[in-house]
Amino acid sequence: MNNEPEKKEDQTQDNNSSSLVQKIQQLGQSNVPQAPDSNIHVLSIIGQVEGHVQLPPQNKTTKYEHLLPQLVAIEQNPKIEGLVVLLNTVGGDVEAGLALSEMITSISKPTVSIVLGGGHSIGVPIAVATDYSFIAPTATMTIHPIRLTGLVIGVPQTFEYLDEMQNRVVDFVVNHSNITEEKFKDLMFAKGNLTRDIGTNVVGKAAVEYGLIDGVGGVKEAMQKVNELIKTNGTQDQQVMQ
Amino acid sequence: MIIYTPLSMEDVFYNANNNAERQMISYNGKSLYCEKKADGSFEIVQLLSTDPQDFLNHQLSPGTIISQTNV
Repeated sequence: MNNEPEKKEDQTQDNNSSSLVQKIQQLGQSNVPQAPDSNIHVLSIIGQVEGHVQLPPQNKTTKYEHLLPQLVAIEQNPKIEGLVVLLNTVGGDVEAGLALSEMITSISKPTVSIVLGGGHSIGVPIAVATDYSFIAPTATMTIHPIRLTGLVIGVPQTFEYLDEMQNRVVDFVVNHSNITEEKFKDLMFAKGNLTRDIGTNVVGKAAVEYGLIDGVGGVKEAMQKVNELIKTNGTQDQQVMQ
Repeated sequence: MIIYTPLSMEDVFYNANNNAERQMISYNGKSLYCEKKADGSFEIVQLLSTDPQDFLNHQLSPGTIISQTNV
């Protein structure tokens, strides 16, 4: 008597497995469960930001020609609702860095950045380009003047050109964060903080106190913030629709 | 071109005579930055994707060798 229900179970199991075999024979495949698509995409900017000149292969680089189309795809894809930018960079090409910053700031979807480890030099405008920026408590950002490399022909013209390049970076940072131009330039030209250069190494909490970065935090805070921004973004869209 | 970095230019432009051939390839619809091996296969150096789920796919993790026929 006890054996009968077990037999039935065996039979149903047999039926299930045979239907699966049939499915595989008919269609040549079975449904494999897959991870759901993420509605938040991640852009990591690591090593040197590489621009017009290809750097020697020992440099770890982020190539801007790879990132720009990805940013366009993020803007276009309706399934992507938010973007998290991870930064651990030692700076790099000014034009490439500013191009990335302008792309990130002009994305209509919510964007949040996290500075992990380091976001030096040209990493600063990229970090402040997002809607909200975080810095890990141990992360640092080096703010220093732009230096000249290569041939100098006319000194006054070169100085003016360099000053203009520097102003592009300063203007972007001042316009996209809460730091004043005066304070940012003070940090940039401070003496005695760096061993081989003038400038300042700003660590975690200090970056928030200067108004450069919006908050101290990591992945948890960044994900909370981007989800919160996605929600408010959604309600705004609905209001516009009505 | 101006490079804005706290590193010295010697560190950035130091040439280690590393002649490894690196190139972008497309594999299963994903863009990969790979190093070409002597036998023609590719070793993944970097996965270029913004989808965090792609980084959980072990077939796309750095160090994986892709044979030439699959590219």
